[in-house]
Amino acid sequence: MIEVLSLSKSFGKVKAVQNVSFNAADGQITGLLGPNGAGKSTTLRMLYTLLKPDSGSATIDGLEISGQPQEVLRRIGVLADARGLYSRLTTRENIRYYGRLHDLEGAALEGQIDQLISLLDMQSIADRRTEGFSTGEKLKVSIARALVHNPPNVLLDEPTNGLDVMSTRAMRAFVLRLREEGKCVLFTSHIMQEVAALCDQIVIISQGVVAATGSPDELRAQTGQENLEDAFVAAIGSEEGLG
Amino acid sequence: MKKVWVIFQKELVDNLRDTRSWTTGLFWAMFGPLILGAMIMLLGNTMRDKLDQPLSLPVLGRENAPNLVAFLSQQDIELVEAPANPRAAVLAGDANVVLIIPADYPDDFSGGKTATLQLVFDSTRQSAMADVARIQNALNGYDRYTGMLRLSLRGVSPDVMRVVRIEEIDTATPQSQALIFLSMLPYFIIFAIFNGAAPVITDATAGERERGSLEPLLINPLPRGWIAIGKMLSAAPFAGFNLVLTLMGFAAIFQFLPIEEMLGVQIGLDGRALFSIFLLCLPIVFLACAIQTLIASYTRTTKEAGTWLPFVGLIPSMPGLALAFLPVKADLWTMLIPTFGQQILINQFLRSEPISASNVLVSSAVTIVFSLVITWVAIKLYETERIVMGR
Repeated sequence: MIEVLSLSKSFGKVKAVQNVSFNAADGQITGLLGPNGAGKSTTLRMLYTLLKPDSGSATIDGLEISGQPQEVLRRIGVLADARGLYSRLTTRENIRYYGRLHDLEGAALEGQIDQLISLLDMQSIADRRTEGFSTGEKLKVSIARALVHNPPNVLLDEPTNGLDVMSTRAMRAFVLRLREEGKCVLFTSHIMQEVAALCDQIVIISQGVVAATGSPDELRAQTGQENLEDAFVAAIGSEEGLG
Repeated sequence: MKKVWVIFQKELVDNLRDTRSWTTGLFWAMFGPLILGAMIMLLGNTMRDKLDQPLSLPVLGRENAPNLVAFLSQQDIELVEAPANPRAAVLAGDANVVLIIPADYPDDFSGGKTATLQLVFDSTRQSAMADVARIQNALNGYDRYTGMLRLSLRGVSPDVMRVVRIEEIDTATPQSQALIFLSMLPYFIIFAIFNGAAPVITDATAGERERGSLEPLLINPLPRGWIAIGKMLSAAPFAGFNLVLTLMGFAAIFQFLPIEEMLGVQIGLDGRALFSIFLLCLPIVFLACAIQTLIASYTRTTKEAGTWLPFVGLIPSMPGLALAFLPVKADLWTMLIPTFGQQILINQFLRSEPISASNVLVSSAVTIVFSLVITWVAIKLYETERIVMGR
């Protein structure tokens, strides 16, 4: 469960995020939709405590992000924008490293790693060093290591970026599975169809500001557009008109 | 704190698998011993050549002094025909020194008068002065010997002529004569330590950021400071290994090169001295890791870090180079400067001088405190947003 209340963040004169508020419920998929540079990644970075908000607040499972960052980090799994792996370590070793940093060890950790490897269909690359992995393979390892501690909240920054069709489909199936497990899934994307296909709730962000919030149906109703893509354009367009 | 160990272990494995990086570090460990060995061999050879060869002395007017000629020949001086113009020959560098026995020498000599000999040489030519000194010694010897014979013939004790006798007591031990070489040793040791740590630390911070694996790492639930400390400590085995390797290299050189034969001196670098130097340098290992962690977390890219780190190793090792030429006493103030104190102490070990325990303590303590401060600054840098964004 993620609750965001008027978060703002500036880099010098650039106002990256302004007064962003939304809620992401457990057992639901919430999509942050917006064009490149809209402030999606910055919002996520504040949620996973990498950046400190200039103002506003956010809680994850009721824990204040600036107050208890360590506790917050235990309750989230993050696929960040930067998803570099350790190329001299194997898939298993990469995942194990993060598991140990989450205080997992022994049989519990190894069992969790095996489960993620079979869940993400990584048996063939499990004991290979990650050097030279394809984009899809790297992504799987990144996701596995982010979820090794089985967090109730999952933050995914552009999870399908650079993936081919088959990998994208697998990825979507995986996100839906996370929802079935009752997790709170928050992911960002700039791809309309993807958000439409997956999300229970959509938060449209443009130029650092929330332009519209709601389920796909609600967004269509709000903007008076039949088609979600038109709704998206309408939402952003109106905001630009105001700005 | 257990997670510091997790970070340490991972970095150790990761860096050990990066064979190319750490083997480059090893090269620096062997650099000092190889250079020093080469220098000793070179100097040893020239010194030995000088001593072994009989000195050849061009003499003009040999026939005027058969006695002197016989005496010089006994002194292992080979007399050869002099060039027609001795001054020109010396000036041109064809001969180091030429002895001229003038035509009036035989008359003066047999008449009991002081007979004159001329020695032609160029005192500005350093390389010739050893030969000149040797000839002068031989001629003085002949002078004394003949004088004594003459006095004895007249029934006078030769001691009348000797008002004072100078006995030279040289306090330089054989070890301290080789000091000019040994003074460079601390320089090489510190250089090796810094270069052992550099590749590991660059890779662990600036490299991680560049490859985009730093941001995900920081999302794990542990204080940033622990990550910084774990990474810093993981470089210590590499720096320490380089230290051991360098010391072993020096030991091997002093063991296997026939130094005594070459330089005529013996160097006291036994196992105990080596171990003491190793312990003395451990705080420097800590210092090297701390300084480099600070730089690697401050610089934006591995490339930028790469331009910094070699200098960082060079600066603390510079005083060691200076010590080879400017002897500094082991005063307390020198111990207050990290790395400088250790270099002076290492020199004292090599000279087999008495070491003051308080100097060792002060030097180690100051270095450790200084390293802790730098570590603290590095941790503060890790806690800023800058560490991820690189700006």
